[in-house]
Amino acid sequence: MRNDRLTLSPSRRRFLMLGGAALAAPYVIAGPARAAGQVIVRTPGGAYDDIMRRHVYEPFTKETGITVMPVAATVSKLLAMFRANNVELDLIDTGDGPLVTLGRMGALAPIDYGSWKWSKPEDVGADYRHDTRVANFVYSTVLAYNKTRFPEGQHPRSWADFWDAGKFPGPRMLADMASGQPDLEIALLADGVPRDKIYPIDIDRAFKSLSRIRPQIRKFWDTGALSAQMLSDQEVVMGSIWNGRLQTLIDKGAPLGFDWNENMIQVQALSVFKGSPNQANAQKLIDFMMQPEVQAKYSMDLQYGPTNQKAFGHVPAEHLTRMPGGPNSKQIGFMRDVSWWESNRERVNRQWSRWILG
Amino acid sequence: MPLRLAAKWALIAPALALLLLLFITPIGWFIWESLTELGSLEEVWLETQAVLGSRAILGAILNTNGIALTVTVMVLVIGYPLSYALSRARGLAFSLVLLCIVIPYFTSVIVRTYAWMVILGRNGLINQILLGLGFVSEPVDLLYNRTGVIIGMTYVLLPYMVLTLYAAMKAVDQRLLQAAEGMGAKPMAVFAKVFLPLTLHGVTAGSLIVFILALGFFITPALMGGPGDIMMAMLIEREIELSHNWPVAALMTIVLLGITLALYALYGRVSDKAEGGFAR
Repeated sequence: MRNDRLTLSPSRRRFLMLGGAALAAPYVIAGPARAAGQVIVRTPGGAYDDIMRRHVYEPFTKETGITVMPVAATVSKLLAMFRANNVELDLIDTGDGPLVTLGRMGALAPIDYGSWKWSKPEDVGADYRHDTRVANFVYSTVLAYNKTRFPEGQHPRSWADFWDAGKFPGPRMLADMASGQPDLEIALLADGVPRDKIYPIDIDRAFKSLSRIRPQIRKFWDTGALSAQMLSDQEVVMGSIWNGRLQTLIDKGAPLGFDWNENMIQVQALSVFKGSPNQANAQKLIDFMMQPEVQAKYSMDLQYGPTNQKAFGHVPAEHLTRMPGGPNSKQIGFMRDVSWWESNRERVNRQWSRWILG
Repeated sequence: MPLRLAAKWALIAPALALLLLLFITPIGWFIWESLTELGSLEEVWLETQAVLGSRAILGAILNTNGIALTVTVMVLVIGYPLSYALSRARGLAFSLVLLCIVIPYFTSVIVRTYAWMVILGRNGLINQILLGLGFVSEPVDLLYNRTGVIIGMTYVLLPYMVLTLYAAMKAVDQRLLQAAEGMGAKPMAVFAKVFLPLTLHGVTAGSLIVFILALGFFITPALMGGPGDIMMAMLIEREIELSHNWPVAALMTIVLLGITLALYALYGRVSDKAEGGFAR
């Protein structure tokens, strides 16, 4: 659908166009195998890889001699590998949703917290540490608006405001099912559900709420690239968007603003693929990546937030305000419940199709 | 002519083997694996009924065919005169036109689609021109709706029609046109009674190719369409990537493949007839 490889956001759809090429491409490029070996990592690709290479992979290789090889793979390709009993990559770096699904299928090895020597497991937030996956950064879905349309101070401050087309007129955007999950949580907040009562999601109520705002929705975005494009082209005057995408536009001078209020925190995580060739190296890379200094560096470049709570201490104060999962976002936001989504995505997908075509 | 036949098969064999290996086998494997996941034949039948009976799928099938048909007509309306011009052009003009038609092929569909988004947007080039000239007072919605899908797909599929029609038009014996003129036919009559019938098989072949390709479209409708512009391929992709429901995806694939193969069979018959009827 879109080769938006040059993106930072954790979309699961990023590699659609690459699918064919990736299938044909051999993972292991021939070359003199180094004694310390290698580790093959599924990553979101593009600019993400550049940032990780600079702050994680290269320092890791320098320290251990282990080479890191980032590759592209969609979730379904990972599933296919597992089902075909042909696991070709060691570490999976992706949204935590797919990892929950893979974990439930028994495809993931436990994270070996006991072997960590660079990082301390207890420094990683308890929400972010699990048996078979550990979060490496968080990102937030925020309410963004066009400042020329709504000057700061008179801007929409909540999702209820977003739903109020009388007070805040103009075309809007929200996430499409194809982005992984539609913004059902946001629809509930707009409908008056308190932040701590969102889950389990009342699907019917959420769709009813979505129906009320649908006439104002110019398009439901399915990739981070599209959401950024629509905001910067002023196709919409407000919308839900991943904070990193938005920050990139703001830093380039786009007249856009956002409010942390009711931001939805989501998680990117790491898992070791069971039965892969370089298990020990994969565990080592996780340990290395979770260090506070390392996390601080790549989180700042990615415009996302660290999961090792000590990392905040390595971030300059002026950068903290723009970090999801930091003091600005966590108090007034909420964590997306990924387990709920992995159990209900299929049902929501069906209902979404009926709703969108109806 | 058994020898020629054998030679023909020998020439086709490598391509066939490649198709079998890289296309037919994986599809067959995918469908088999997915459907056997359901367990029994009865399950498959129940699931098939559920898939074919769901409003979403029917909606998507209707959308897909409607969009493909509209795009085919648009491509034909633009492509026919363009192909005619191309078949008459000589030298530099010919090369330039051909280059303009073929070069977009070398660019990624995504890049081309984003380019259209810049042109068609509310603050895009076309709306700025229209607003600037005072033709409209409000921006026209050309994007994120059916219009956007049609424009985007027409653009991507145009070369297939033009190249097919060009071949058909080049094959028309010019002396037939001259003969018609010589016998007093007006230009319109020459076109309607001689040129058009002689290129009709190209029209059919080109239209079928475009229609078949349009059926499987995915990127353009997803990027340029509105909320309701859901095509079959988009539903299939969601079943695989989001729901991880491969049996349902396989069933949807069979439906889409069925429609496509039926049309392809039609295409085969038409082009066979064309070869027999209008042999050069």
